[in-house]
Amino acid sequence: MATEEAAASAKHWRRRERGVTAALLSAPMLWLLLFFVAPVAYVAAYSVGAIKLFPTDTGVISLDGWRHFFGGGSIYLGLFWKSVRMSLTVSVVVVLLAYPIGYFLALCVRKLKYVLLLVVIVPFLTSFLLRVLAWKVMLGDKGVVNSLLVSLHLRPANEPIEWLLYSQFTVMLVLAYVWIPFVALPIFVSLDNLDRSLLEAASDLGASRVKTFLRVTLPLSLPGLIAAFVFVFVPTIGEFVTPLLVGGTNGYMYGNAIQDLFTRGLDWQSGSVLAMFLLIVVAGLMALFGRYVQVRSVAAD
Amino acid sequence: MTDIDRILAERYDRRGFMRMAGATTLGAAVLAACKKAEDNGSSTGTSGAASHPPIDKEPGDLAVFDWSGYGNGDYYPNKEKSELWGDYANQTGDTPQFTLFENDDAAYTKAVAGTVAFDVVHPCGYKYKDWVDLGAMQPWDTSLIPNYSQLNPKLMESGVVDGQQYFVPLDWGFIAPLVNTDHVDVSGEDSFGVMFDDQYEGKISWVDTSNMMYIGGLFLGVPDPFDMTDDELAQVRDFLSSKKHLVKFMWNQSYDFWLSFKKEEVWIGYSWPDTVGYADAAGMNYRYMEPKEGRVSWVCGMGLAKDTQNYFHAHDYLDSWASKKAAEFLMGYYYYGHTNTTADLSVVSPGVVDALGLDDPTILDPPRSIPESYIPRRDVYQQYWSEVLAS
Repeated sequence: MATEEAAASAKHWRRRERGVTAALLSAPMLWLLLFFVAPVAYVAAYSVGAIKLFPTDTGVISLDGWRHFFGGGSIYLGLFWKSVRMSLTVSVVVVLLAYPIGYFLALCVRKLKYVLLLVVIVPFLTSFLLRVLAWKVMLGDKGVVNSLLVSLHLRPANEPIEWLLYSQFTVMLVLAYVWIPFVALPIFVSLDNLDRSLLEAASDLGASRVKTFLRVTLPLSLPGLIAAFVFVFVPTIGEFVTPLLVGGTNGYMYGNAIQDLFTRGLDWQSGSVLAMFLLIVVAGLMALFGRYVQVRSVAAD
Repeated sequence: MTDIDRILAERYDRRGFMRMAGATTLGAAVLAACKKAEDNGSSTGTSGAASHPPIDKEPGDLAVFDWSGYGNGDYYPNKEKSELWGDYANQTGDTPQFTLFENDDAAYTKAVAGTVAFDVVHPCGYKYKDWVDLGAMQPWDTSLIPNYSQLNPKLMESGVVDGQQYFVPLDWGFIAPLVNTDHVDVSGEDSFGVMFDDQYEGKISWVDTSNMMYIGGLFLGVPDPFDMTDDELAQVRDFLSSKKHLVKFMWNQSYDFWLSFKKEEVWIGYSWPDTVGYADAAGMNYRYMEPKEGRVSWVCGMGLAKDTQNYFHAHDYLDSWASKKAAEFLMGYYYYGHTNTTADLSVVSPGVVDALGLDDPTILDPPRSIPESYIPRRDVYQQYWSEVLAS
């Protein structure tokens, strides 16, 4: 009798718990459904011509948009790889540069840790646009960098370094600058959670500092490192604001093509194809990275 | 992402305005030339005022869908208001609400997508038919616009679609290469070719719109740059793609082009008259070319939304824009022409009058000027242009 009661009570509680969970989840789920799933489904439908909005839309369901995108004459795949290359470069550089920042904050500083952390994220207090535009002032033909080079007689006055502004280099430089503080955070968190006794143990067992770093610190911070990489890679691959402002003709990226197709091209179908392709690739990469992170954290344990 | 979109939208809004201004210069010349014929200011509107509730029953808060700096105060906060719609404000007590667009294509896209509500809109000539075909517009009743009689009747014809005055052309200007003569050799014949000249690699700026397609077509000598065949478009695309490496950047806002031109980062650019005015005021050595292919001339005008609740407000607003005062503001501050024939050219410096041919009654005549025309297959132009950008 008692066990039956207990079982019934447990069942009741489980049901109640499920009810509470469902209630708590419903708001965010609804939000996601309305503002993420539905729009993505709309874009997907547009990409196969299922929606007709403009007089120029065919309104006939077909895979022509996709076929054109993957077809031999398509320039967009090439542009996509160019963006992937740029984004990969930026991500690697950013992670390499942000790692020492995270390391320093997490393991070398004690009292001022959070003050310094604040300093790292201070640039976020300024408008993103302002920070990007400031680079124009620095990198122009008569900008800070070129003027300095001229005044130091390292460059003749009429021959500034022209690729400093409006080039792929500029886009990557500015993106790296923008993302470093952001990326230092997950690295900081993973290092900050590091069990210091492991470092002591390594030291007790005679490991050198380099060896300790390579065998203990680095593997344990790998999830943070990968998260940081994804943090940069995913948004920068579809980036369009920075290339628009400082990229010139060479810095044009995949995201700019999407923006152009939507805002002035009146070719929402091609734009949808490009956007969906980006989404699929990014989702695939996330799934891949997600697996990798999990495996590594388990292995580290 | 949404924040960035918003920021970007704001920035874009700020940029587009220069282009409108360009139209002004051309207008003045034509105006001067055509003044005699101006008695033709009769009404072409047919919808009639009678079917609309009187002005004091209208909601006000006139929704103006326009370029940046054309009244919203981005460039001259006080002047824009007092000169462009001060009369309107005095007359109606209303303050217009501005929604801005970056360029004609973006404005039209927003309207089609239904993301903007407006009473009046201010596109350029080659887009008029698209707007009318969209079913979004209604003709003006020109008898409600007292200043209409001062507007150049010849230019008013460009605002007529399907036999009705759907648009009232106001500001006009040119598209032509502006070059820095300290660095660029202009001893030969003027041509758009200077924008594709290998010896000026890295010193050239194009505009960041599909207008470059017809500029390319014009230079390559196609029969009708505004209605090119697929073969011609492919030829222009390949040509532009092969010359793209010469271009330092493509401008979205003519003020960006001006800043770069002033700093001599670029010496050559696709230019509207505003940059000519700035270069003249800055004392630069420049030449605003009269290419052998012809300058492209543009005229932008105001249109009335079909479903407006502010019918009479809208007419008053247009009347304010059509005034001599508004015309002189556009000429004096933006170096654009205006279709009001009574505007006084002395508000513009002699250098600019000369460079733009404001005092030359034939400046707008073909083949010296080629009116920017309706492009029936603009979406196809845009596809080819997208390919140039992505190449």
